[in-house]
Amino acid sequence: MQHKIILIIRREYLSRIRKRSFIVMGLLGPLIMAGVIIFAFWSSLEESEDQKILVVDDSYPFFADLEGTSTIALDIQDISLAKAEALLEVSDYTGILYLPGKILANKSAELIFKKQPSFRVQRQLEERLQQYLEISKLKEFNLTETDYRRLKAPVIISTFQYQGPGQDAERADILPAIVGQIFSILIFFFIFLYSVSVMRGVIEEKTNRIIEVMVSSVRPFQLMMGKIIGVGAVGLTQFLIWVVLTFTIVSIGQTIIIGNKYVAGAEPPGAATEMIQEQMSAENALSLTQISADDNLFNQIRRVNFPLMIGLFLFYFIGGYLLYSALMAAVGSAVDSDTDTQQFVLPVTFPLLLAYFLSFQVFANPGSTMAIWLSIIPFTSPIIMMIRVSYGIPSADLWQVYLSCALLIATFIAAAWVSARIYRTGILMYGKKASLRELLKWITFR
Amino acid sequence: MSILLQAQHIDKHFGDFHVLKDVSIDVQEGSIFGLLGPNGAGKTTLIRTLTRITAPDSGAILFKGQPLTDETRRHFGYLPEERGLYRKMRVWEQAMYLIRLKGVDKSTASANLNDWFDRFNMQDWRSKRVEELSKGMQQKLQFVITAAHDPEILILDEPFSGFDPVNTEEIKQEILGLKKSGKTIIFSTHNMSSVEELCDDIALIHKGQNILHGATQEVRSSFRQNLYEITFKGSKVAFANAMGYQFEIDSIKETGDKLHALVRSHTDEGSRLLLKAMADHVEVLSFHEKMPSMHDIFIAQVSSPEASTDPAQDAA
Repeated sequence: MQHKIILIIRREYLSRIRKRSFIVMGLLGPLIMAGVIIFAFWSSLEESEDQKILVVDDSYPFFADLEGTSTIALDIQDISLAKAEALLEVSDYTGILYLPGKILANKSAELIFKKQPSFRVQRQLEERLQQYLEISKLKEFNLTETDYRRLKAPVIISTFQYQGPGQDAERADILPAIVGQIFSILIFFFIFLYSVSVMRGVIEEKTNRIIEVMVSSVRPFQLMMGKIIGVGAVGLTQFLIWVVLTFTIVSIGQTIIIGNKYVAGAEPPGAATEMIQEQMSAENALSLTQISADDNLFNQIRRVNFPLMIGLFLFYFIGGYLLYSALMAAVGSAVDSDTDTQQFVLPVTFPLLLAYFLSFQVFANPGSTMAIWLSIIPFTSPIIMMIRVSYGIPSADLWQVYLSCALLIATFIAAAWVSARIYRTGILMYGKKASLRELLKWITFR
Repeated sequence: MSILLQAQHIDKHFGDFHVLKDVSIDVQEGSIFGLLGPNGAGKTTLIRTLTRITAPDSGAILFKGQPLTDETRRHFGYLPEERGLYRKMRVWEQAMYLIRLKGVDKSTASANLNDWFDRFNMQDWRSKRVEELSKGMQQKLQFVITAAHDPEILILDEPFSGFDPVNTEEIKQEILGLKKSGKTIIFSTHNMSSVEELCDDIALIHKGQNILHGATQEVRSSFRQNLYEITFKGSKVAFANAMGYQFEIDSIKETGDKLHALVRSHTDEGSRLLLKAMADHVEVLSFHEKMPSMHDIFIAQVSSPEASTDPAQDAA
């Protein structure tokens, strides 16, 4: 009997793997993802394109000593803005930094450019100006530069999760939480895509009328589980392809880009890496500029407990998929065509959608009562628990993870049982649009 | 002959609908069994309980005297009325898959299938997708899939529906061939002439009940009406005069120089007396008793008032 379910899994798996759409998705997904990453990386390197900026200083020579950076050359001149703009047209200046006379009062300047400079250029200019203004103010207050350095007191708050008396508190950072959020979004999409695929498969067998031949050879439960496992394996394969291909393309792309840059002598690789970091931080819109050297982004990433995260990711990915696909198999068996599915699909997937939308709130407040409940309830836990875990779960609350896992397994078994009963009646019912009451009746059929 | 498959007092409800009421059938090993009945009579449900697709509320299905199990099910070949295939799969792959699901190992399945593909001239189709086949080709493939795992019993629900006359004949010959090789076949049909041609035994299901069953010939003779068909040469008047008070002419018609008469006898010893009476008056060319067709029996049974009294309808 075991051998039959393996045959079914094999067919479900192979028939989908061979589909053009699978291959297209398997190539296109990583290409797009890698494309986005490489583009971000590349554009971060592009910023190394030298800027030559004409500085129009209304209060000349106040800013005469303003210095640029290795890539931003500043030319401070005492001309009018109109004249500078005319000059920009005919010269190789990449932009004009306009420092109005009121800059000391309202602390705002303007950057006029030919080609949009990067966020980084803007920030570097801001930093330089800020520093320049600060130092110039020192004179006003009769302070030395040493005093100034003493005055400046940048503060970084590192967060730690209390782990109980006598135990080291665990570092809690925002970045691991972002990893968790990404994982939970992946779980959401894969559950959704592949449980719908299970439903489609059931409907296909029903409308094809192959189903009756099948159930004369195998038990409906075997057929249902074979399909669910087969499609799930397709999902895992697709996921694996995405991860491997994305990594491969990205690292090849990186090598090529860095290689070129290095040969050109513009940037050593170290600087490139630094830029990626800055680029990432800019993208995440997190103010990571103040993170001290020992607490940079990569250290944060390193602190993500990847074995635990990946382990739980696989558990919730598979558990959530099994639960939802069992329900969707029942839905597929109860209808005659794809167009009839709406009335059932929405109620079934509602918790999943809810979890997805609430996940952003959980991300903001992972310790809330709502987050705890959502991470325990099996219909939402695959998405919500990932986020909570990524923040770090205090050992006192570990029972919630165990409970959530146990409940997910138990609910899957219950759902599979109920679905199997609906399924074996539904697959042989044609023409009648089943109501919810009817489905409940099917569960009790012998 | 021994009984291969037995349904004992099968009762089945779908919700409030009483689909099968105490239905029992016995299928002899090596015979062809016809399951007749109007649409919605419960034939398909009965077949589904025989194939263990649906479980009865009460009653038992015995195969060789033992209750049916998942293991014994491999000896069944089932062709459902609503039959389909995976449209995107290739013919050979599809057939192998379905046969192996019956528990046949790969090499046996492949060998059996090759024989059947040869026999039905299907070798050219092997790598075609099912959706590229015509309807008739698909039906042949389905028949092959039903039989290729070498089952002891084949259950065919409306095997001839949708087939053209040539294919119908081919399938009929295959069914007879399977019988010859010792297989048992149950089929349901609305095609009454095929019942007369093929079936050793029949059961007539009507409104969930088995209202008539037995050997086909016995069933037919139990409905004999003592009608005789006579073809003769001679005068109509002489023929009429020959009929005594025991006989009555139902109809008479002329084709060329021959006359065909249908005569009803009022005595059970009709044939002997009738032949004797005619012999001196006309030249008898052919003489035989007209047996009621299954078609006539079917219609008479299904539309007769006593057959339609059933408790479920009273309750409804």
